[in-house]
Amino acid sequence: MRRQRLFLQRMLVGLRPFALIGVALLGWEIIARSGLWSPLLFPSLVNIGHEFGLFVSRSDRLIEAWTSLYRALGGFALAAVVGVVLGMLMGRSALVADALNPLFSGTYAVPKLALFPIFIFVFGIGSLSKIALIFLECLYPIVIVTYHGARSVNRVLLWSAQNMGASRAQILRRIVVPATAPFIFAGFRVALPVAMIVVVITEMISSADGLGYLVIYSLSSLKTDRMLAVVVAIALLGLALDRALVALRNRLVYWEKLETYYVS
Amino acid sequence: MLLFLVGLWQLLWTWGLPDYILGPIEILRHFFAALGSAELYDHIGASLMRSLPGFAIGTLLGIALGLAAGIARALDQMLSPVIFLTYPVPKIVMLPLFMLWFGIGDFSKVLIIALACFYPTFINAYYGAKSTPTILVWSGLNMGAGQWQIFRRIVVPSAAPLVFAGMRVSLALSFIVMFATEMINARSGLGHLIRVAENSLRFDLMYVSLLSIAILGYLGDYLLRLTRHRVLAWQEQAA
Repeated sequence: MRRQRLFLQRMLVGLRPFALIGVALLGWEIIARSGLWSPLLFPSLVNIGHEFGLFVSRSDRLIEAWTSLYRALGGFALAAVVGVVLGMLMGRSALVADALNPLFSGTYAVPKLALFPIFIFVFGIGSLSKIALIFLECLYPIVIVTYHGARSVNRVLLWSAQNMGASRAQILRRIVVPATAPFIFAGFRVALPVAMIVVVITEMISSADGLGYLVIYSLSSLKTDRMLAVVVAIALLGLALDRALVALRNRLVYWEKLETYYVS
Repeated sequence: MLLFLVGLWQLLWTWGLPDYILGPIEILRHFFAALGSAELYDHIGASLMRSLPGFAIGTLLGIALGLAAGIARALDQMLSPVIFLTYPVPKIVMLPLFMLWFGIGDFSKVLIIALACFYPTFINAYYGAKSTPTILVWSGLNMGAGQWQIFRRIVVPSAAPLVFAGMRVSLALSFIVMFATEMINARSGLGHLIRVAENSLRFDLMYVSLLSIAILGYLGDYLLRLTRHRVLAWQEQAA
């Protein structure tokens, strides 16, 4: 009897993480079935699941997802390359830091999204203006965190390497890059969700393809269940990208455990 | 460096750039002209009426729940997985849904801004409370401090630097989301203004609205840093 109760208790504690999600889903379904609100406002989970099934099984929908992914990752990859190089340079050279730091810290709080209409004129309404904006938005967190990391490389390590006759390139490769790597990934971790946010926003504002467009289009055609299915797809995509990044990080930066969710 | 870039820009402009890029002097001229009219202030007011309440609600909830989850295990186990799971999800996708539920007006916008601001503050407050030095808590207990006293005197101050870091991220996010929602649908506000300007090819208005949002963003960040400097005078500002 006692053991049984203990087991039950442990099971309840183990289920706690899922409690809130379960309650939310249940509440949703009850509201949807109650008939108090129109199914347009609260489509039932079954319909959403059906639409989601359609979403993943139809190639034209998957192409939209690919378009969004391509934009988000394209902008992110560009920002990652440029941001890491700039951040490293700023961290290792006082000259570069003095030149670039005011630029980045001065415009950090300015919402870069406001530049989007101008980007449309400069780069056209297609993918390029979106990729450029994603690049700009992702650049800031990556540069700032990388700079911070490259600056705080343990000095003793640098000195001992110099003492042992390491060349500049060797020091960079063997000490600075590994020491900065956790910071770089912390920056990536902030920037990747930003890339997803910006791609969805820009596609909602002006686009004829991509997931953001699909959301707005389904809403305008009053297909709420389809819209929610796309929202679920976007959420899953964001989640999957984050998981993939964490997996990559844990593989490459295996010597340091990821403790906090992100470095701020 | 900044001056150099602006100078280069001005030089390029006098040299001849496409219509849609204005020179810095030209932009400033339009900006000061717009400052003289009431219209710009209306739009700024409308934008702030959306972003500030959203920011306030989102950060207050985030701080309260984050601190609570940081110190109470039961709440932590219930709340944190959900929040960490949904953190990388772009919150703006909820906007169409909120528009259906709460109408197309300001309420849904404030709500989505609050949602976006909630996450960074929650996560930072959570880690801030979690990383309270145990020694301090023990010594507090030893000296006979009550639960509330320990929370107020030890947990809150040691979480404060991270909380401010979270608020800074949230503030920047609140402007981004405010701008996005206004561009998607609104009848007032800076995002709306830039849309109208874009559609009617009024490049001067576009840059005026861009400059105002830049100044607002910078000012908000500056005020937050100032507050942080005053409140956390005992802690040296890092980075």
